Amino acid sequence: MTAVTGMLEKNYLWRIYWRLAGVIMVCVVIALAVVSYFSHRVFDRELVPETEQKAATVAASVRALILKATGYGVAFNELYGVEQTFGEVFEENPEFAYAAVTDLDGKVLFARGKEADQAREYFRRDTVRAVGLDPTATWIAAHVNGQYFISMPIASDKPLGILHIGIDGKFVDNVLLEVMLDVLVVLVVSLFFTLELLNFMAGARLASGLGEFGQQVDRMRSGDFTATARIRANDEIGRLLRRIDAAIDHLNVRYEFLVGELDDKLRAATGPRREQLRPAVQALESIRARFRFGSASKDSETDEMNLNRIRAPLFAFILAEEMTRSYLPTYVNQLLVPIPGLSPQVVIGLPIMLFMLIVALGQPYLGSWSERVGRRRAMLIGASIATVGFAATSLAINLYDLLLWRSLCALGYAMVFVAAQGYVLDRTGHDNRAQGFALFIGAIMVATVCGPSIGGILADNIGFRASFGVSAVMALTSLLAIARLPTLEVRTLTSQRPSRGPRMREVVALLLNKRFMTLTGLAAIPAKVILTGVCFYLVPLYIVSIGNTSAMAGRMLMVYAVMMVLIVPLSASLSDASMRRDRYVSVGLIISGLSGMLLLVSDSFLVLFGVVFLLGLGQALSIAAQSALVAEHCQEEIRIYGSDAVYGVYRLLERLGNAMGPLIASILVIFWGYQGAFIAISGMVLVCGIAFTIATRGMDWTPAPATS
Amino acid sequence: MGTIRVRFILVALVVSFFAVGMAAFLNYFKYKSTIGNIVKSRVLVVGRGIENSVQASLQLGMQFSELSQLPQLMQREKGTDRLVRGIDVFDYSGQVIYSTDRARVGQKVPATWTQAAERSKTTEWTADESDEFVAGISVKNAFDLTVGFLALRYGRDEVERAAATAGREILLAALASFLGIAIVAPLALIVVIRRFERDLRSLEAAASHLEDRQQAPPSSGSAFDSAIGHLRASLRDANTSLDELRAKLDAAG
Repeated sequence: MTAVTGMLEKNYLWRIYWRLAGVIMVCVVIALAVVSYFSHRVFDRELVPETEQKAATVAASVRALILKATGYGVAFNELYGVEQTFGEVFEENPEFAYAAVTDLDGKVLFARGKEADQAREYFRRDTVRAVGLDPTATWIAAHVNGQYFISMPIASDKPLGILHIGIDGKFVDNVLLEVMLDVLVVLVVSLFFTLELLNFMAGARLASGLGEFGQQVDRMRSGDFTATARIRANDEIGRLLRRIDAAIDHLNVRYEFLVGELDDKLRAATGPRREQLRPAVQALESIRARFRFGSASKDSETDEMNLNRIRAPLFAFILAEEMTRSYLPTYVNQLLVPIPGLSPQVVIGLPIMLFMLIVALGQPYLGSWSERVGRRRAMLIGASIATVGFAATSLAINLYDLLLWRSLCALGYAMVFVAAQGYVLDRTGHDNRAQGFALFIGAIMVATVCGPSIGGILADNIGFRASFGVSAVMALTSLLAIARLPTLEVRTLTSQRPSRGPRMREVVALLLNKRFMTLTGLAAIPAKVILTGVCFYLVPLYIVSIGNTSAMAGRMLMVYAVMMVLIVPLSASLSDASMRRDRYVSVGLIISGLSGMLLLVSDSFLVLFGVVFLLGLGQALSIAAQSALVAEHCQEEIRIYGSDAVYGVYRLLERLGNAMGPLIASILVIFWGYQGAFIAISGMVLVCGIAFTIATRGMDWTPAPATS
Repeated sequence: MGTIRVRFILVALVVSFFAVGMAAFLNYFKYKSTIGNIVKSRVLVVGRGIENSVQASLQLGMQFSELSQLPQLMQREKGTDRLVRGIDVFDYSGQVIYSTDRARVGQKVPATWTQAAERSKTTEWTADESDEFVAGISVKNAFDLTVGFLALRYGRDEVERAAATAGREILLAALASFLGIAIVAPLALIVVIRRFERDLRSLEAAASHLEDRQQAPPSSGSAFDSAIGHLRASLRDANTSLDELRAKLDAAG
């Protein structure tokens, strides 16, 4: 495809996507505003009477204390400690803003809190004073300038005064503020869903249709008029392609007819007659030199449409797992059983460690397995296993069976991941492999943005078990989408070579290799340790430990994922262009390492936000450059062992870093608590980052193109 | 209506359904948890009164199992809030020592109550039974040791009735919003994709005249003009070459 048609297809479609996404988002924002407005009205109408009822109960309790004191003979207007009691009431009930005791004339004797304007006038109203004079009255409620008041008579053997409690008029707003944060998350997730759905429901077909149109234009410009026998969709693009097919068919028929006629004449011709036909023969030779007619070979047909079809099932499947990230450690905490010799902190991290370990060790071998059984079948098996795993996790009895069910999830995850990767490899050649992997990584990234936040919201509202049930449904949905993938397995020339896991001698040789281990040991492994240690283990547990919710943990993890989505493409292109990928890795590691240090300044919530933001930024800067550096840094090793082995060992060690993260973090928590663990794990990455910078300074870099 | 337009509209509807559904879901559950918390804290205010009295007795050196005035106090406090169905005080083993319901004394409370109390990081805990909620307080002595537990049972009806009312209204608001979107979004999308559809139409129209030998139709200003120009030129070139071959064949006779 020429640059012109390629650009036309990509930019043109993306412009349309963004415009459509913009319109859809505007509609969604308006709808959300309407739902929020009506919800606010319901909250106001229903919560205020309930809170007034609660205030009355609290007031009755305070009144009992007052009456106890007056019962001991203390004069009503000389009571001691009433304001302190009000202070305690405010501490336990933050929605109460003001409390006062007045005498029967409405004069304030004791008060605490923020007094509403016109409160004193209210206390002196006849209707209010009448309550004080009637010992049989229960309480009355009124709205006074931004505060909801309940007023209750204080009477022993005779009326003494009135107790007033003021409820902050904005308390409903405060209740809804957290809902607003969640609604904001829903909005961001909706944007990503929109782009994903546009691609899934319309874009994949449009992109492949326009792509095919572009390719057809290029083929015809180069003189290739070979006919393809494709079945076209009955939509606008399909009809367009059918017309082009028809024009090509007519041309081919005309060509065949002319060739046939010339052949017939040549067969029948002898001597001078043959000479007369020579110009025609020369014209045909010229046509054959410039144009190609006939049927297109199967090899020339790309499988772009089927390539795009992997995105939806992959997205749904990864989303199922990502949804559990924000609440899994807290769920494990609930099912905790004492394991002799293991601290509870380590035990909480066990399911995450086990998951990562199974994925790390399984992936190299599952690649060749999925090749043997077929990518689609491997994905079906993997998604089925994971569905069972998620469903069983939701019903887990204790930690022991939870470990088993999470192992199933891990096995299924590894199978689907590897088979989907293979599916992309099978359907792409050298020309479009990067595009294929962009599609693969794109689905994963969008799932990491949407999953933890939605999972956290679900866990907070419907509980951990039901949220795992939702993950099971999601995995089941992916199963249905996988079933719709083409049953026919394809192999391009580049993917026909069977893949294999790294051999032990290659692993050992590379582990002892200084150049390889500088990159892997100082950059790749620490990056993964801090990712899983901080994001998957520390953040969910720490946020809940300081009284926040799983939804907040999800929002935090969303910040990390959004940073990755926004920065990775930028840093990848910048590091490729500058050809100093080592610097991006160094800077990324150092920023990641500095992230946890923020907690030395304060343990406030905003600082934690800063930690996750910096961690996302650091990881995004280094992640793309890291794997490209393998090709640059380890050319000698690639020459000796082959790129499959070098990358295989690199990925294996990187994933073992994933498994080590929660273990290291949990051990650090035992000794230094959550904050100490954040700081220590970041400090370790900072040291690695500095060591990597020193180790790679002044090295002779031989730039090489990025390979995955 | 073009199939692509239908697909775009479907996307808008699916996304809107998700967003509006999630917003309604969030608002409903927030309401339910808030109302639940308000009611729970209201019930706990009653419990705190009893707890204070128990604490005062313990500080005077009385044994937890010898608080003879406690049943009357519990009965009196129960009467202060119509929501409270019953109050139990039980020991570490879960055995009820005092209760507003005499028949419960000596019986064991469900294990979920003691587990909830043990798991709680504060002195307050809650448990969920099929027909009622339980709000509890762990009673501690002067040495901060838990000597027993106070449990206040209250009906689910109040919370569930309020949640059902709010849920119905939130659902109606969500449905109305979704209906609004279902009407507005397709119209807005049609305006936005008009240019794209025009491009596709002109592309299709141009494609239907690909084989015409006359002068190319005037440029439609669509994004595909140059691609169609290339297509026409390629076909014309090939046809011209075949025409020449035809002419030479005819000339040869």
